[in-house]
Amino acid sequence: MTQTDILSSEQEDLRLLRESVRTLFERAGGSDRARQLRDAGGGFDPEMVRELAEAGVFGVAVPEDQGGLGMGLAAGGVIAEEVGRVIAPEPVVSTIGLSLGLLRRLCPDHPKMAQLIGGEISLAVAWQERGPDGAPADATCRYADGKLTGGKAWVVGAIGSHGFLVVAEQDDGPVLVLAEADAQGLVIDKRTQADGSSLGELSFSGTPAAELASSGAVLTALAEAVADATALAAAELVGLSERAFEITLDYIKTREQFDKPIGSFQVIQHRAVDLNVMCEVAQAGVREALAQMDSETDPKVRAPIASRAKARAVTAAKKITRDAIQLHGAVGYTDEFDIGLYLNRALVLSAWLGDDAYHRRIWFEAREAEGAAQ
Amino acid sequence: MTDWNAMTDAEFRKEVRQFFEAEYPEELRHLPHRPKFAEIEHWHRKLHAKGWVAPAWPAEFGGMGLNAAKLLIFYEEQQRWGVNRGRDMGVQMVGPLIIKFGTQEQKDYWLPRILSCEDIWCQGYSEPGAGSDLANLRTRAEIDGDDFVINGQKIWTTMAHDATHIFMLVRTDPDAPKKQQGISFLLAPMDQPGVEVRTITTLSGETEFCEVFFDNARTPRENLVGELNKGWTMAKALLSFERIFIGSPSLAQNALGQLESFARGRGAFDDPVFRDRFAQAALDVEDHAALYARFADQLKRGETLGADVSMLKIWVTECFQRITELMIEAAGPDGGSIGPLQVGNVSVDVLASFYKARPTTIYGGSNEIQRNILSKAVLGLPG
Ligand SMILES: Cc1cc2nc3c(=O)[nH]c(=O)nc-3n(C[C@H](O)[C@H](O)[C@H](O)COP(=O)(O)OP(=O)(O)OC[C@H]3O[C@@H](n4cnc5c(N)ncnc54)[C@H](O)[C@@H]3O)c2cc1C
Repeated sequence: MTQTDILSSEQEDLRLLRESVRTLFERAGGSDRARQLRDAGGGFDPEMVRELAEAGVFGVAVPEDQGGLGMGLAAGGVIAEEVGRVIAPEPVVSTIGLSLGLLRRLCPDHPKMAQLIGGEISLAVAWQERGPDGAPADATCRYADGKLTGGKAWVVGAIGSHGFLVVAEQDDGPVLVLAEADAQGLVIDKRTQADGSSLGELSFSGTPAAELASSGAVLTALAEAVADATALAAAELVGLSERAFEITLDYIKTREQFDKPIGSFQVIQHRAVDLNVMCEVAQAGVREALAQMDSETDPKVRAPIASRAKARAVTAAKKITRDAIQLHGAVGYTDEFDIGLYLNRALVLSAWLGDDAYHRRIWFEAREAEGAAQ
Repeated sequence: MTDWNAMTDAEFRKEVRQFFEAEYPEELRHLPHRPKFAEIEHWHRKLHAKGWVAPAWPAEFGGMGLNAAKLLIFYEEQQRWGVNRGRDMGVQMVGPLIIKFGTQEQKDYWLPRILSCEDIWCQGYSEPGAGSDLANLRTRAEIDGDDFVINGQKIWTTMAHDATHIFMLVRTDPDAPKKQQGISFLLAPMDQPGVEVRTITTLSGETEFCEVFFDNARTPRENLVGELNKGWTMAKALLSFERIFIGSPSLAQNALGQLESFARGRGAFDDPVFRDRFAQAALDVEDHAALYARFADQLKRGETLGADVSMLKIWVTECFQRITELMIEAAGPDGGSIGPLQVGNVSVDVLASFYKARPTTIYGGSNEIQRNILSKAVLGLPG
């Protein structure tokens, strides 16, 4: 095979993957499903999780010898874009990026791996902590004698998960442990988010948990998994932005005022073009970033690439979802119209794992450090 | 004759890079102004001897015969090394038109003279009443015996004061039902009593473009290219490759490099607000390059580009302008000063970059016109 043949057969694989995930979501009801699940209390659909697993979604970035598809983050991005298009509430990115990202790096032989890949369970990852002022703070959650004490905040997918992968401290350094969802002494507070999903605030008082891995490798793997999830969240925002733009474009073609479609007014047209350009730049930038992460192994290089992707995706999604509301007029401000669901989901995905300003800072600092090293 | 297209991209890039690095005169790198021919003649002679004046022309006419992918590489290397494009309107605009629509006699006569720069061309399209609405042009050409007689005025004609010939769109049938009809493509010598050139000073104080007045100027009838009254469609047909070229990342990338060394020297990075704005600009450039690569890949696969390629030009020119604003910001109290500013061992002409960025959103189809095109041709918006 020549270089171009390899390239195009890879692309063909991604195209097929995209089609199968898209079809699956469309059959299940597209974005209507997101509304129904939100109205039903804001969880996700375990049946959908199993169907996604059958399509190979969760194991996409897990190497083949660990039971996955071994297609890398680029393929993960394809899936995330499709999740974003229908604003599906299932924990797809957090599973591919965080829980499997951690397990495959630290304990690839653990039986939970296969269960996660098979969609039988979901596990939420808990590593951040809230300080007394409410802002993120250094970790103090302790693990000793097989028990956890302390708290964790901003846990995505906490509601409905079967257990928690908790990064804690023990006497000789960091440790990754598994606490079951119904473990003794575990209290889960939920904070509802704009899209109806919840963030978990966990508190542990002597909660039994099983050690999975320890030593410095835990923090390295965590940083890697967070970078993966960050880039995949960027891809989810790209898909979300694209769909929000399409909905808006349809609307301005059909809504009439002054006896013509509002999309015939030049100021509206130029805004629409700007949103379209924003979308295309974001798609190109994020896809390139994911491909680069697949071909890089150095965590110091991969992390700023993920930041580049998230910074771009958040900037684009912010602009597109806000302008989309404006271009819809008053109906854009109602809960009844779908465009608002996209805005609300964008708010959540933007805040998760760092917004654009945060990631520009990280990206810039890494660039400076690299410059100084040379 | 070398078949450049048979080379791998990497081999070809290396070859081009080596030639520029070895042969391009150091003092001409990243020229801040448009040079007159005399200033770059020594470089042009080298390029001509090498046979590289016209990378896009088919080899049979003295070009390099590059396909789109190789052409892109050629231009990327040219811009990377700061190689001046020279007086290339003949090569870029008239030549391709003559190759596509000209007679054998026209090809035999004009093409070698374009390559050697015996003739130096300027582009006479715009008029006082015909800018974005180019089809509104009024300069008349009437047949009189063996000649066309030309009356009217062109404006914004870049480097007309240093050109021997002008290629122009003229009205040959004022009674045509649509204004796009009745326009012809004509070649004319500048050195004659009926042609008067007045230079126009630009914002930056340069004389880059001109007004050109035609008062019973004459050109032989054989200087009509293509059919009479068919000039509009011919001129449009040439735009397709230019549209990716005009959206290439290089202008913004070069400016970003300048901004970085300047801002560093000036300590502007100590300010977190500046750092964020720099990061924004740098990421704008990087993500634009990713989009550009997507279109370039399309060309490499042999596909033709759609109207959506215009988005590259919109993004990169506006990004270029933001970068030059940041340079002014970093210059602080020097932000209004003309000429190079020395910072450490780099010298940056802040306002030269700023001025250079201004017209990029005006020419080549203004960014508003590009948005009009995208909204209709790509988004399918009505009206
Ligand atoms: C540095 C430079 C070099 C040039 N060199 C040449 C040359 O060599 N040969 C040549 O023939 N021409 C040349 N031009 C002219 C160039 O092609 C025109 O400037 C361009 O076509 C715009 O026309 P205009 O300047 O008359 O602006 P106008 O068309 O009058 O436009 C003024 C403003 O109105 C906006 N506008 C116009 N129509 C619309 C619309 N339908 N919708 C929304 N907004 C609109 C424009 O975007 C612009 O912002 C050059 C221009 C510059 C700046």
